[in-house]
Amino acid sequence: MVCQLLGCQYLQALALDMFSRTALSQSTKASNANIRRFLATEVDATSTSNLGSNEISRVKKAEGPILHTSIILNRSPIITRTPTSFERAYYAYQARIHRALHNPFPYEFYFKQGSPLESRFNLEERRRERKAFGAPFGLDSSEKNAATELAESSLRDEEEETMPRIHEADVKGDLKNLNRRSQRNIYLLLLQKENGRNVWRFPQVTAEKGELLHIAAMKGLDVECGNHMDSWIVSRNPIGAFHPPVSEAATGTSQKDVVFFYKAHIMAGQVRPDRTHTQDFAWLTKGEIGTRVDKNYWLCIKDMLSDF
Amino acid sequence: MSTVTRIAQTSQAARAFRKPPKIRKSLKYDVKGLPIPHVKILVRDTHPCRLADHYHTTLQDDLMYMTYNHESGPRPPPRAIRLTYDPNDPYTKNRYNPPVGGSQLGKKPAPPTTAENVVQLEKISIHSMVKEALTSRSNLLGAIAAFRALSGETQFGGGRHSSEGVQIVKGIKTVGGWTRPGLPLGVKVDLKGPKMYDFMATLVEFVLPRLREFPGIILPPASSTMNSPSGVAGVVSFGLPPEAMGFFPQIEVNLDSYPKSYGMHIHFVTNAEGIGAQNRARALLSGFQIPFARK
Repeated sequence: MVCQLLGCQYLQALALDMFSRTALSQSTKASNANIRRFLATEVDATSTSNLGSNEISRVKKAEGPILHTSIILNRSPIITRTPTSFERAYYAYQARIHRALHNPFPYEFYFKQGSPLESRFNLEERRRERKAFGAPFGLDSSEKNAATELAESSLRDEEEETMPRIHEADVKGDLKNLNRRSQRNIYLLLLQKENGRNVWRFPQVTAEKGELLHIAAMKGLDVECGNHMDSWIVSRNPIGAFHPPVSEAATGTSQKDVVFFYKAHIMAGQVRPDRTHTQDFAWLTKGEIGTRVDKNYWLCIKDMLSDF
Repeated sequence: MSTVTRIAQTSQAARAFRKPPKIRKSLKYDVKGLPIPHVKILVRDTHPCRLADHYHTTLQDDLMYMTYNHESGPRPPPRAIRLTYDPNDPYTKNRYNPPVGGSQLGKKPAPPTTAENVVQLEKISIHSMVKEALTSRSNLLGAIAAFRALSGETQFGGGRHSSEGVQIVKGIKTVGGWTRPGLPLGVKVDLKGPKMYDFMATLVEFVLPRLREFPGIILPPASSTMNSPSGVAGVVSFGLPPEAMGFFPQIEVNLDSYPKSYGMHIHFVTNAEGIGAQNRARALLSGFQIPFARK
């Protein structure tokens, strides 16, 4: 247009080249916009579109990395943490101060005079007093009546049985049981073949061209871990990235890999990994993961995992 | 099995009684005849807090990932908005001089997402208006007793000067034939720390599941704007009917002792601020299993 008016061959060639480039980029942008909203996490689809023969070499040079999504599948703690002996001593001390200084309890507001509930409460309260402060406290000074004896006998019948805080999976050393290490955050690790050797890593899939990363993560979870569980991927944002060291001899290409991590929770069920390329799986705490994975991998993932 | 033995070791009883030291000199007594201790005694946490642990082990990470907003580079400085009057003009020197276009409170941008400012619960505020208190202020006593039983808070409880306990709410302005400044109208109590999480646990496990036809906290319609002062405040509020008071176990044991049931408003105050703060606060609460529903 403008270039034809100028009539200079060199300028014309230059401008034509520019025009073709802008036209190309505009057309790809337009087609993307027509299909759906464009997201930053989308794998660039332009490399697959048909280009002129002079364009191909330039595109090859600028070829992006291969994108993978990996899922850090987490089972949250299911019981409260056992306090350390220091914490227990601290809490016991504070509870004793609290007990020594609390406002007087309004018995007449909460209980009818001489009701079985009141005598039971008195009995339990004396026991708690004795447990908190030791021998002279909480001793029964009043004479026994029928209600107190009834409460005592009913308390004797009741035996509180607490569930064990250590699951039998911990005793047996079963790494596949989801009830193991119930006080800790545990994560799923798969044993897979990579470049001819077995490595422990999080479930991982390659994102297809034009696929959104968080959707690739959802699909990958199904492919790698089976659909026999209820799971939830926490966010659309990746929580971290890993750049594996490039080994050209192994892959034969100069393309780099990037692994994006997504956090997910398992609510129910169990993983059933694809046996064709997964040898084994294990639910492990952060410390146990550190002893199994490669060093490079560990340095990248260690800050994404919960210390407790 | 070193891990098993380690767990077993920590579960041993930690309390040991020694002979108390001999009392050489008795304590001084105050005007009420109560002993004055040598040190200022503060009661701190008496037990591990389950929901606080849940927040720190699970919710905090998830909320940071869910509410993360990526920004490349530092933010540009905020646009300088012209003041209504020229500040250098001596004629308008002491005049109220707001920026043109109002305070822009509803457009306050959220602070950049960091690991330090992940949304978390700061306090729960409960309040109730007792209409009968207008006729006789002694009608407030039932509500005060109920709120004390609900919250376990007392004024200066545990030796904390910041603990205000159950407070009486008084009228601020005159409404013709109804209220005037200083007239007691209702009660309120602020819960913080472990007691706040205990209240949350009671609410979620004992009260909400037993309420009839409770779909969840009703959300405003999706079309309503979030750029209002309440949308950027990070406070989630809802009300409980009078029937709900009987479902709190602290009150259930002797519901007959209270003159009547009181409904209440509950405000969950979080540290979220800026645009989208209320949604972040809701995400936090839904992590504590408080249901939300659309009409």
